[in-house]
Amino acid sequence: MNEFFTIMSPSYLLFPALVGTLIMGLVCPLIGSYLVLRRTIFLGLTLPEIAAAGVSFTFWLQQTGVLPQFAQGERSIGMIGSLVFTFLGMGLLGYLEQRGKGLAEGRLAAAYAFAGALTILFMVFNPAGQIDVLNLLKGEVIALSRGELKLLAVVFGLVFLAMLVFRREFLLISFDRDLAFLLKGRQIIWDILLYLLAGLVIALGVIMAGPLLIFGFLVLPALAAKPLASRMSSFLLLASVLGLLMAFLGFYSSVRLDLPLGPTDVTLGCCLIFFAYGVSRISGKTRATFLALAVSAFSVSACGTRTTSLPVPEAKAVHSQQLWLAKVKNSSPSSLLLPGTNPLRSLAEMAGKVAPDYRQTVMDLLRENLKSELAKNGFQIALPEEKDARLVAFPTDTGATVRVARDGKLAGAIFASEIRRWEVESQKFVRVLVDFKLIRIDDGAVLWQRRIQGAVPTPSATNAGQASTDAVKKIVRDLFAG
Amino acid sequence: MNAGANHEDLVGAGASAAAVAPLVALENISLGYNAASVLTNVNLVICPGNLVGLAGPNGSGKTTLFRTLLGLLSPLSGAVVRNCPLANFGYVPQSAALDPQFPLSVREIVEMGAYGRVKSFRMFPAAESKRALQVLEQVGMAHVKAKSFFALSGGQKQRVLIARALMVDPKIMVLDEPLSGVDEESRRSITELLVRLTRQQNLAVFFSSHDLEMVQRVADKIVRVDKGKVWVEEGSGCS
Repeated sequence: MNEFFTIMSPSYLLFPALVGTLIMGLVCPLIGSYLVLRRTIFLGLTLPEIAAAGVSFTFWLQQTGVLPQFAQGERSIGMIGSLVFTFLGMGLLGYLEQRGKGLAEGRLAAAYAFAGALTILFMVFNPAGQIDVLNLLKGEVIALSRGELKLLAVVFGLVFLAMLVFRREFLLISFDRDLAFLLKGRQIIWDILLYLLAGLVIALGVIMAGPLLIFGFLVLPALAAKPLASRMSSFLLLASVLGLLMAFLGFYSSVRLDLPLGPTDVTLGCCLIFFAYGVSRISGKTRATFLALAVSAFSVSACGTRTTSLPVPEAKAVHSQQLWLAKVKNSSPSSLLLPGTNPLRSLAEMAGKVAPDYRQTVMDLLRENLKSELAKNGFQIALPEEKDARLVAFPTDTGATVRVARDGKLAGAIFASEIRRWEVESQKFVRVLVDFKLIRIDDGAVLWQRRIQGAVPTPSATNAGQASTDAVKKIVRDLFAG
Repeated sequence: MNAGANHEDLVGAGASAAAVAPLVALENISLGYNAASVLTNVNLVICPGNLVGLAGPNGSGKTTLFRTLLGLLSPLSGAVVRNCPLANFGYVPQSAALDPQFPLSVREIVEMGAYGRVKSFRMFPAAESKRALQVLEQVGMAHVKAKSFFALSGGQKQRVLIARALMVDPKIMVLDEPLSGVDEESRRSITELLVRLTRQQNLAVFFSSHDLEMVQRVADKIVRVDKGKVWVEEGSGCS
């Protein structure tokens, strides 16, 4: 499957997230360029942290009942908190700046530390929503809905337009305040407008993508563009282009390698800075050749087709019909219990009021699905615990599995599976890491193995249980389809 | 002589205060920061065609006087009368005061002088671009128009900043230490340029320097500041 073209397809499940990331990658560097040039980078670090404190604060207020539950969802209420805190923070920092007491860096550092502490404290006060808040603060841009994408596009589009229309005023006020005063009169309006736009981008960006990614988009592309540009116009253009590149490469790597988007983007942004400084040391023709080679290398790697994984072999191919299907080992931190069929009982169980007795787990479901598909491949399936009640669990290591199987006097082959990660995220996808192995017991040879890692899309799921069920079916289908 | 003593002393060669309306007049002003005055009882009249030098040691209040003249600082007392809008003041700051962090080409620096005339939502007019090239040619810097401003030498930077001030379409040029950090060859070409601007374009030029000898050689009139005192001397430039 060609992942590059899959990601670029509008029908792709994470397409809104990709477009949202690209929009932020395009617009944030324009604001960030002025923060860098005006030597106020710390502001770009502090304001997202203040916005995050606002998100955490509103969730806490909601949990205590001071604020009502909004039909529009968590992000809407978080957005209000983010906006209010950002503009309050900017106002306070501006007031302290006017009074001119103390070091500017000192004020920003103190505000950063204070906002960070408040974020954590509000989260601790709100135990019911700790995980939700944490997810929002991590920046779940991947869960961006089409409605949120529209809002992002409108707000960031207006900011982009304003940056374009008032580019001369912003340059003049940032570079030479005296000349700005002589030519345009009272210049404070341009300062206010620039910071207003920065506040808007940061407040909205933090709730959509998290403070880390927003700070990365604000500052890193501008820092990377700096050594390559000798004109202001090319600096702004290059910063935006590098922001786009950082957004796309980060998203692509995140999907392909199953990495969290924020840290992946920021790491790439830092690499871009080193790359830019390296390129700036190469001159003239060599630079053009070098850049052409880099772009070609990326295109080849991006458009390259991933090696297709082999499907689970058929019984005749491994010369063994007898197959012992071991219980699926759960190495993830949660119990992976599926919700019961009775919704009232399920709710009571979740609240800890009713003992779970027996409930099906993701491991059971996976084993059931594997059993039926393996049978279709011509295997005679047997369950080890039915032969010997002690064989309920098999170790992870191949050698140890074979040893336990031999001790249990099992013959033929054994199919072992292990869930290392299983996280249902916003019902739209499940992040998984599951290992499968088919081992011949006689000589311990691994006949086939496969690791499934990444976000398994579950678009039609309406709750976490259904998302897990859909994910199991998709994984098993992929295993046998190759 | 105290500057407050005689306005006529400051009227340049070939122009009389009665015949030509002054572009700017400082009327018995005290200037400084907050309540602390740096200079007191300053009277000054600058007319078109005047080449006025402001001489004094570092920290004597030259920049404070300039900032008050340009409206960047309010006088503590007295009045500043300007007979042309601030947009017609061509200000040349010290190049060291500009932040080298900004990636700006020479052309972009000069084009800034036209920003007061170009509306926000419009593209930069071709006529203004042409004018930017003309002023660069006027100061002999057209050949470096695409270069990075901060990669230039001190003298080249000063000439580019003069070109930016000319781009404003000024009636009066105010230059803060235009010859500081500049080699001998550049000093000569910049002073020649200033004289040419006053003589050929009838611009008023008011520049500062801590090099009294140079100011005496170039300026028609010299305003001297030192230890809070202001007085006026004739310069050899007027002869």
